[in-house]
Amino acid sequence: MSTDIEPPRTAETTEDELEALIGDRAIARDDHLNAPGFVINPDDVQDVLADLRDEAGFDHLSCLTAQQYEDRYESIYHMKKYVDPTQEVSVVVPTTLDEPTSQSAEPVFRTADWHEREAFDLVGIDYEGHPDPRRILLPETWQGHPLSLDYDQTKPQVVTLSEYENPIQPDHIDSESDTMFLNVGPHHPATHGVLHIKTVLDGETVLDVDPDIGYLHRCEEQMCQQGTYRHQIMPYPDRWDYVSSGLLNEWAYARVAEDLADIEVPEYAQVIRTMGAELCRIASHMLALGTFALDVYGDFTAVFQYAFRDREVIQDILEDLTGQRLMFNYFRLGGVAWDLPEPREEFIAQTRDFLDELPAKVDEYNDLLTTNEIFQIRCVDTGILEPEVAKEYGCTGPVARGSGIDYDLRRDDPYGYYENLEWDVVTEDGCDNYSRVLVRMREVEESAKIIEQCLDLIEEWPEDEREVQANVPRTLKPDPDTEVYRAVEGAKGELGIYIRSDGTDKPGRFKIRSPCYHNLSVLEQMVQGEYIPDLVASLGSLDIVLGEVDR
Amino acid sequence: MSRGAPEMVLQVGEPMLPERIGDLTGLGEFGVAGELIAAFLAAFIVGNLMLAMTGLAGPWAKRKITAAFTDRIAVNQIGPAGVGIIVADAVRLLSKENIIPENVDRPAYDVAPIVVASSAMLGFAVIPMGTGIQLADPEVGLAYVFAVSGIASLGLVMAGYASSNKYSLLGGLRAVAQNIAYEIPLVVTGMSVVLFAGSLQMSTIVEAQSQALIDLGVVSIPQWYALVNPFAFVLFLIANFAEVGRNPFDTPEAPTEIVAGYQTEYSSVYFVLIYLGEFLHIFLGGAIIATIFLGGPAGPGPAFLGIVWFLLKIWGVFMMTQWLRSAVPRVRIDQLIEIGWKGLLVLSFANLLLTAIIVGLIA
Repeated sequence: MSTDIEPPRTAETTEDELEALIGDRAIARDDHLNAPGFVINPDDVQDVLADLRDEAGFDHLSCLTAQQYEDRYESIYHMKKYVDPTQEVSVVVPTTLDEPTSQSAEPVFRTADWHEREAFDLVGIDYEGHPDPRRILLPETWQGHPLSLDYDQTKPQVVTLSEYENPIQPDHIDSESDTMFLNVGPHHPATHGVLHIKTVLDGETVLDVDPDIGYLHRCEEQMCQQGTYRHQIMPYPDRWDYVSSGLLNEWAYARVAEDLADIEVPEYAQVIRTMGAELCRIASHMLALGTFALDVYGDFTAVFQYAFRDREVIQDILEDLTGQRLMFNYFRLGGVAWDLPEPREEFIAQTRDFLDELPAKVDEYNDLLTTNEIFQIRCVDTGILEPEVAKEYGCTGPVARGSGIDYDLRRDDPYGYYENLEWDVVTEDGCDNYSRVLVRMREVEESAKIIEQCLDLIEEWPEDEREVQANVPRTLKPDPDTEVYRAVEGAKGELGIYIRSDGTDKPGRFKIRSPCYHNLSVLEQMVQGEYIPDLVASLGSLDIVLGEVDR
Repeated sequence: MSRGAPEMVLQVGEPMLPERIGDLTGLGEFGVAGELIAAFLAAFIVGNLMLAMTGLAGPWAKRKITAAFTDRIAVNQIGPAGVGIIVADAVRLLSKENIIPENVDRPAYDVAPIVVASSAMLGFAVIPMGTGIQLADPEVGLAYVFAVSGIASLGLVMAGYASSNKYSLLGGLRAVAQNIAYEIPLVVTGMSVVLFAGSLQMSTIVEAQSQALIDLGVVSIPQWYALVNPFAFVLFLIANFAEVGRNPFDTPEAPTEIVAGYQTEYSSVYFVLIYLGEFLHIFLGGAIIATIFLGGPAGPGPAFLGIVWFLLKIWGVFMMTQWLRSAVPRVRIDQLIEIGWKGLLVLSFANLLLTAIIVGLIA
């Protein structure tokens, strides 16, 4: 079928070239299923990463996985190219148990800042030269590192409020300067969940922000490590980005686990997955539009209510399909739980009705929102995110595409049924809050196109070939020490998962790469020198879900 | 309530409400004491009328109106169309604990809600509401209304500063900046009406609008200043929305930005008073607009329907605020100030100048 969405490929960096580039600095090879892996010394991190970025074009530090083995710690830098995310390389940095110190990658990639803080927080690796070596998800006073092997999982730790950093302590008051320290959140109408932004103001102007996250940390990685591959992990992804992105998240796990266990998914199931995922994307983008309007309008105004009204229709469709409204748990390894609900015609007609009405609704949003002059003066040229900065912070999804970065895993690293369908990747060059809104608006229309085609396919699919589930063993035990990192295009961006198998039916290490985590970390770059209302609008335009940031 | 001394009132038409009550009840025969009681009674009636409207508008009408704009149903469980919510809300709000944070600056913290609410009430004293309801009619009526409604700014600053909360402080500062920026265009535009009417007295302004602008025999279009000078009307309307802090100018409260601005720390009765004050100010704004631009209580039908027409006009303005609230984004604080000083101020002075020239030429 169509190939008009061919990704823009560049000259591929072959393994030989990589070997030549890294040269003597590679002390061993440790290949992963998705990428060649090079083991390097802890002192060479900045060197190697800078070379990979500048010489070979690996400009996307997608993720950093830290883990502890019996005999060593390991930091894995998963690197990709924005122009072609299928070109990947893993840089593995082992450190000894006695002295787990590794060079920080922060000077090369800004996004390593938060990642290395998290690695320190949860696993206990120190990063030398890190500008801000604090914990990030857990309170400062936490004892031990929960994902390290010697951590006592059974002993509860209670961190009292007085013990934890008191946000209203007097030392925030600086009598010398003219600035004001302001806590935005954790209870604030515009933080989209429990987010605490430590803000320094000069009058109404924002001088500095420091997002304080972790209020919604639920040990998702650890919980996944304690579940079996086959059935017990799939419900968790629904709980990461819980605002109607469920199926998109489930796909992230499905994809990585299917790669790990080498499971082939039937085509029909892929079509249903694609349709379900895009329905979720529309629902998620509508919520993003509605809440962004809420941030800019300041009240529960028409746009917000209309977005919810229209989103409700999708919720009904998804409920019919999966039996659930929020935590779908519909994907299975090797397919989906069941076929479309009977009567099929009714479900298809209902979904088509929604798609038919969608253009009129999008027009209505455009009337109310994007063509409104006050909305434009509020959003155009505010919250500027330059593409170079976005790349340095690992931004993906609508946030990156609103800065003109043509990056969409559905096209660039195809999975599911996307490569056989006609649709476009939406980008806007404005780099501002307005562009990000436009991107989401237009992506809703693109998703509708995809669903339309999926429905056509499903309708015409021969009845005896409607296979929704591949034959998958009851218990999955992938070969020990198989490592794989895979990502899908979630509603907010690149949602990746790294799994290392240890020979049992549960993952040895399960690491989640959350797009919101990266997108939130760039906030400090977007709001410096802007006004408080723009801080709120910029945060809204990033469309973060704290459940996914904190995991 | 203020009551103009009878000698000073320039009687245009009918006697004021206090005197009518005095005559009606015979209180007027008891000299000054009787007059005083009559005045109190009159003020009591007008005050309660306005409070009843606010009571209706705050908990119920606002919900119903915005619900209609945003495709919802809103309150519908208690009583017909949910009007019982008024009682439920009153009980709820008044029975809550009045939480007073430790570091607040008393008594400023306690006085602020009263100042906010009462300043609006004072304004209604000189508004001719038709059907003979007007407490006083001083020669400086319009100036008096602007003056007393301006007192509210003081209350907002007190609330913002005394709350000892950074969000409140930001809200209070925003409120002052906004009120200063928009009070001037408001007053200057009001002056252009005064130029037409030749008087600051409310009854004279209403009277001046009663002549026909265009007489088509069957239909006669009255000489309402909104029709005579629509430019001034629009200017005044915009400045008024900013003055009462409604969308797109609700920056002093700005729920998604600074939580609730100056009222962040207020709860229970204090919160009710501030909320009441806000609604009273919207209605006072509506009353001023109705009086100086929409012919006051004028309308078809017999004269005793005046109050009905007048209230309809006020509610029309209120509806407009709710419409804007549902449909228009909020401007940023710096943009708001810019619109005020660079836009409205210049336009309002241009309007005043033009009006002066035109009135001069006609005269």
